[in-house]
Amino acid sequence: MSRPRKDPRAARAAHRIAGGARPRFDLAAAPAPAGRPRRDPRAEERLALVPGTLRRRLDRAQRVAVASAMPPALPEAPEAAPRLRVIAEPAFLVAVVPDAPGGRLSAHDRQLFGAARMLADEGGGAVLAFVAQPGEDLGPAGADRVLALPVSGHDPEAKALALNAALAALDLRHVLFPESTDGGDLARRLAALSGEPFFAGAESLSPKAVTRAARGRRVEQRRVPPRLVNLAPDAVAPHAGTLHEALPVAFAFPQPSGGAVLSAEFIPADPAKVSLAEADFVVSAGNGVSDLDTFRALVAALNGTPGASRMLCDAGLMPRSAQVGASGTVLDARVYFALGIAGAPQHLQGVAKCEQVIAVNTDLHAAMIERAGLAIVADAQKVMPALLALLQQERQP
Amino acid sequence: MKIAVLLSAGRHPVSGRPAPVPVELQAIRLAVEIGRQFGGDVTGLHAGPELGPLTDALGHGLARLVHLHNEGESDPAPSLAAALAEGAYDLILAGRAGQGGEDSGLLPYTLARTLGLPIIADAAALALGEAPGTLGVEQALARGARRRLLVRLPALVTVHPAAPAPLPFAFAAARRGSSEARPGRHAPAPSPTVEERPYRPRPKLIAKAAAGSTALERLRAATEAASGGGRLLVDPAPEEAAREILAHLRALGLVTAR
Ligand SMILES: Cc1cc2nc3c(=O)[nH]c(=O)nc-3n(C[C@H](O)[C@H](O)[C@H](O)COP(=O)(O)OP(=O)(O)OC[C@H]3O[C@@H](n4cnc5c(N)ncnc54)[C@H](O)[C@@H]3O)c2cc1C
Ligand SMILES: Nc1ncnc2c1ncn2[C@@H]1O[C@H](COP(=O)(O)O)[C@@H](O)[C@H]1O
Repeated sequence: MSRPRKDPRAARAAHRIAGGARPRFDLAAAPAPAGRPRRDPRAEERLALVPGTLRRRLDRAQRVAVASAMPPALPEAPEAAPRLRVIAEPAFLVAVVPDAPGGRLSAHDRQLFGAARMLADEGGGAVLAFVAQPGEDLGPAGADRVLALPVSGHDPEAKALALNAALAALDLRHVLFPESTDGGDLARRLAALSGEPFFAGAESLSPKAVTRAARGRRVEQRRVPPRLVNLAPDAVAPHAGTLHEALPVAFAFPQPSGGAVLSAEFIPADPAKVSLAEADFVVSAGNGVSDLDTFRALVAALNGTPGASRMLCDAGLMPRSAQVGASGTVLDARVYFALGIAGAPQHLQGVAKCEQVIAVNTDLHAAMIERAGLAIVADAQKVMPALLALLQQERQP
Repeated sequence: MKIAVLLSAGRHPVSGRPAPVPVELQAIRLAVEIGRQFGGDVTGLHAGPELGPLTDALGHGLARLVHLHNEGESDPAPSLAAALAEGAYDLILAGRAGQGGEDSGLLPYTLARTLGLPIIADAAALALGEAPGTLGVEQALARGARRRLLVRLPALVTVHPAAPAPLPFAFAAARRGSSEARPGRHAPAPSPTVEERPYRPRPKLIAKAAAGSTALERLRAATEAASGGGRLLVDPAPEEAAREILAHLRALGLVTAR
């Protein structure tokens, strides 16, 4: 180690107060920093400490400049509302066309806004949202401007024509669409209509490059983001942190003419027929369920899709297509209701993506009980008829 | 009623060998069933240098295959547009996206634009409408939902993988079917603007906390998926458990009170 030797006289001289006849020293004052400041590991640790957890946890990924040798600044009172960021004079616009089923942004739409913010913040641009019904969640999602599209009902061709007019008139550097049934359709219509370069199903996106799979997912294509980009789900994180103003703007859209679609009718999924991978709500039985007739009646009454653990499928009590788990179907459901399932790792793998799990099991220490948002330690054989009776009772007042 | 099915030169996703694209074989099934019910003939169209394994499509129920011969790398759209305009088809079916080429699913849209036809995406089932000259299309949406549309023919419809599985391959049908080669229109393929490299799967976003959120939020998002961290009821009466479950499902918006 080659640390310079400490010179006590020089250290003392650093505390000397200038002026005055007699030499005076203020030993309490911190000397003027000389050379590299000393690290204070305790202060760094205090900054990395995650508040609000029972166990002591450090989060070293926080990108805060660590104040050295200084006493740690007291954390300021958390702001009640996120900071509003106003972009008054945008250099350019990045447009987003979210699906927004029923006027509410989906998770995929929020990711789209995250991508648009990334592209816009690169050069001082603003994010413009094209929506059918302006909702309140656009500002927090990251929209600076909002433009209402003049469409009614299901008419993608009219939407594409309106977007084409906006594309020609406004300074839109990029237009982002979700790669979903409606978003993908609209993006391709607009690409065919305007002849602009189009990038379908982008799997990663940054201001410098977008990538996608091509040639049967054997080749990755990459280029700088073109004007029209269609973004796959779960590729970019949604925007968070600042609030944006979502200012309504006006634009003279051309008058829409009648489309080729004569009528459109939405048919909700029939949970009894929909495949397990697509289902939204799965009710599943395991080895703890012996009365399968009641189980089937319960599934029908709850309007869910039936599932099962491997034990039941192996025993032939449920079809193999109903098996949930690593060697069965990996669910994409929002809610999973497990009756008498222990929660073996192979089974839990199939449930990993579910947001909400409800479990009924007699064993308090079952893994499924630990995983569940609502866990009930009870006999499934008794809960099922009680639930059925309750549903029937509510149905006939 | 004249029906055309557009067949592209696909590649098998695992072996990489030339193979028909599954969703286009599903389109053949939809076309054949509509044709069988309402009297109509189905023609397959391919534009490219060679048919290769596309002759298998004849075994999957197609009666006639037209090959628009193009040399090497050329844009299939002008050849297809010319052949489709000449054939005056009432219904044109295409796949949602190819498999083995650009795979962007843009070709049906450019064709619809040049032919001036309405285009409907992602059909899972087809039926003729009550009024003559209309077609009922069941569009596949996310999570198994459907949208039933009624369109005026002629129209171009792309088929979704949720459509019924292709008809099984029959050797006799493959022998019976005829294929015919015609010269296509040569149009130079647009020069590629993309850089290509071997595919590398990208990690999907799993952290539910957004960028810019606090450490606490990120920690919650990372750990809470593994443990529900919710309510635990030990040995409730069955009725109480049932009430609890129902209230929870209601809060999630699943079981509607009737
Ligand atoms: C290679 C491999 C792949 C596998 N893949 C899968 C897969 O894809 N999917 C899958 O599910 N399994 C899979 N398994 C099997 C898995 O390891 C477990 O054996 C299986 O999931 C257990 O099913 P279970 O929870 O229904 O049964 P059990 O383990 O027998 O658990 C029954 C549970 O029900 C509870 N119970 C009993 N009576 C009642 C009652 N009256 N009321 C309420 N609760 C009650 C018990 O406390 C227990 O927790 C795989 C195994 C292997 C080796
Ligand atoms: N060369 C071709 N000949 C005939 N049809 C094609 C050709 N290329 C693409 N198609 C059709 O267009 C659909 C979408 O293709 P793509 O735009 O390449 O993803 C395919 O599923 C086919 O139905």
